[in-house]
Amino acid sequence: MKPRLGFFDFTGCEGCQLEVINFEIELVELLELVDIVNFREAMTEKGEDYEIAFIDGAITTESDISRIKEIREQAKIVVAMGACASLGGVNCLKNFRPMEENLKIVYGDCAGYYNTIPARPVSAVVPVEYELPGCPMNRYEFLKLAKALLLGKKFELPNYPVCVECKMVGNVCVFDKGGFCLGPVTRAGCSAICVTTGRHCWGCRGLVDDPNVNSEKEILQKHGLTVDDILNQFRIFNGYLEVSK
Amino acid sequence: MISQAIPEASIYQPRPAKLIRTEAIAEREKLFEFEFRDGGELGHKPGQFVEISLFGIGEMPNSISSSPTKNCSFELAVRNVGNVTSALHGLTEGSTVGIRGPFGNGFPIDKLKGNDILIVAGGIGLFPLRSLINYVLDKRSDFGRLMILSGSRTPQERMFVSELEKWQERRDMELLETVDRGDEKWTGNVGVVTTLFPKVDIDPQNTFAITVGPPVMYKFVVAECKKKAIADEQILLSLERRMKCGVGKCGHCQINGVYVCQEGPVFSYAEIRKLEEAI
Amino acid sequence: MENRIIEKQNMDVFVNNLINSDAEVVGAKRKDGKYAFGKLADATELCLDYDLALYPPKSYLLPPKETLIKFELGEELEAEPVVEAERVILFGVHPYDIKAIELLDVAFSGTNPDINYLSRRAKVTIIGIDCLNPNPNAFCASLGTATTDTGFDLMLTDIGASYVVAIGSSEGEELLGKYAVTREATQSELVQRDEQRQKALAKYKVALSMSAEDLPELLDKSWDSPVFKEKSEKCLSCGSCVMVCPTCFCFDVQDDIALNLKQGERYRQWDGCMLVDFALVAGGENFRRDSETRFRHRMYRKGKYLWERYGKLGCVGCGRCASACLAEIASPAETFNTLKEERRQHD
Repeated sequence: MKPRLGFFDFTGCEGCQLEVINFEIELVELLELVDIVNFREAMTEKGEDYEIAFIDGAITTESDISRIKEIREQAKIVVAMGACASLGGVNCLKNFRPMEENLKIVYGDCAGYYNTIPARPVSAVVPVEYELPGCPMNRYEFLKLAKALLLGKKFELPNYPVCVECKMVGNVCVFDKGGFCLGPVTRAGCSAICVTTGRHCWGCRGLVDDPNVNSEKEILQKHGLTVDDILNQFRIFNGYLEVSK
Repeated sequence: MISQAIPEASIYQPRPAKLIRTEAIAEREKLFEFEFRDGGELGHKPGQFVEISLFGIGEMPNSISSSPTKNCSFELAVRNVGNVTSALHGLTEGSTVGIRGPFGNGFPIDKLKGNDILIVAGGIGLFPLRSLINYVLDKRSDFGRLMILSGSRTPQERMFVSELEKWQERRDMELLETVDRGDEKWTGNVGVVTTLFPKVDIDPQNTFAITVGPPVMYKFVVAECKKKAIADEQILLSLERRMKCGVGKCGHCQINGVYVCQEGPVFSYAEIRKLEEAI
Repeated sequence: MENRIIEKQNMDVFVNNLINSDAEVVGAKRKDGKYAFGKLADATELCLDYDLALYPPKSYLLPPKETLIKFELGEELEAEPVVEAERVILFGVHPYDIKAIELLDVAFSGTNPDINYLSRRAKVTIIGIDCLNPNPNAFCASLGTATTDTGFDLMLTDIGASYVVAIGSSEGEELLGKYAVTREATQSELVQRDEQRQKALAKYKVALSMSAEDLPELLDKSWDSPVFKEKSEKCLSCGSCVMVCPTCFCFDVQDDIALNLKQGERYRQWDGCMLVDFALVAGGENFRRDSETRFRHRMYRKGKYLWERYGKLGCVGCGRCASACLAEIASPAETFNTLKEERRQHD
């Protein structure tokens, strides 16, 4: 029997689910090997007999907490897709402001009808087997995980910084171009796509296991960033982590 | 412009081998017997290793557990700790794997001949040592005394139990066993493997101590050997490193300037005494 | 060694003729204010007076990622080695990079010759050029890698109005005869070449405070030096130093499989001893767990280990690692000089 997959969205832009849908040919091939029983973004049927749950989005409300716990009960394997689900991601920007103020900014006079809690990654609420960080997640990494699960192989994220892949594709270092970059402490696996396309690394894949954050902060300061600038940079995707506090 | 000729074959290309037999050793350990599809032999020495491939999963180094005196087939004992080992543990007889090797230097059989042999095994260190033990037993008259000190963490984690029992009964060898932690059924020695040293009498001039075990064990075993006045040249150790390519290129197994997959994995203590990071 | 002259106005013709031949021509081009090797579409893209290309030409011999085996799983396992090699002319390679390729040649041949490397190597033609404007981080003059008499098919030196071309191989001679307008070099032009090389030697800003031959012995005595800990505290373990290095050749091997879970490939990919998991084994033991031991290993590999193994230093003094290292700790010259100073105070 083919493994049954479910896709579930929490607080996020659903871009990671779009990455799966964007596959087209590979998606057809994947469907030879798995059944997708629940995927609101792509289909109307809703099956509850999934074994592998892919989670898109961060946990940001009380009802998110109970819903993710229910999914965890059902699924044998829970996979956090993308920066929001893996790291908390941009949602955690609100954690640096009182929740009432957030509600006020977003809902104005209607604030009283809503609730919100500090944003957190899925792993802060329930155990997670695998994470596919990135904004959006790297869909080829999604395939790699899918293949690993089908082969019964352990899936591991690279444990080296983006610099390695940035050098492999032959980029000029962002710092050499007068900019700044979180690549030296950010987990690789994206082929340094942002630097390759002329920007810098924002840290959307989270940090490597043992990042030398002090050295990175010193380097950023040397390149003209203030302590506040640096914290703001880390907070964009990694606000849930201690380094951003 | 380069004068080096291009070789005909790739050093990374494995030979297909058929899994002909599996046998459980302990909870996480299993023995696998292979035969090359082309009918050829492995042609190894005790103490050497192979790279075993499960295509789609990967390749990993593993020591050879059978003696070369056993013809045609060869055996690998494997602890299930990673991707390749786990896939291997799931294989059924008749499956095909890829094998490269044998690699490494192996134990110096010629030097050992005519001498007494003191084997010190820790845990699955017995895997490569079993190749040597069976070799010595098959060529018994070429060697002097054969003494084995074997340590396991618990009685459940003893490897090759039925063979240990057979060895125990033999008159032409001595086997002493210990476990770190015993249980209600265990009546033997309790303590780390070095606690067995006072129980053997050796002639240091004519004895080679050969030890394989977890990295933490080596310093203590070497100290015991030295207490028994065995010369550094006659203390042999097999070192574990990440031997990814097996052919001295990829760099992962380097200890200082030494490529363990080429110059090792067997070293005398005299060779590694000054090799920082070795033990 | 025979020497010829190519007048400057004739250089573009030579380069374009090569581009129009059956080979891919690779040279240093401008990239975001730096220089990088890349395929040339026209001679006008080629920079011959560059100081340092961001990356060495190594990737044309040892690509960052390279398929070694293609396989198909099924009843019978099918696995075939993959050997890919295209004709490449590396145009304008500095002597230190040629010296680095000579080291790679030794490492990938010998007792276990590597078919993938050697097949590419056999199809690579090296047209060198003397580096007359060294990079501020380079210290080739101290390592004897600022010039070379070996390892090239042709070697150019800019002497103002023209280039002196030293012919290093019959292949180089053939290319010259077929594609370039040349004339015999005069004695005075050869003198000018020597003068240019001498002038360039004087331009190096970084120097070793000892001779290169003394490095292995110095390192022998420096294992416990505090400098390794001090410097490595800033190390990001980002691998930039090893990724840009012309002499680093360590690699990892992985399998990839198609979605049908049948066809796949085994590939190798650059790896480096500065990365955290480099010496990690399956059982969980990491033999160089902390950055101090990794930092020291790299320095020793550059200054001692490869020398002892291959008779060639693992560093050619190009200065790329020092340029790439954001923490400003990667320069071997700086560490070696600190160690030398420590010894001097100790003795």
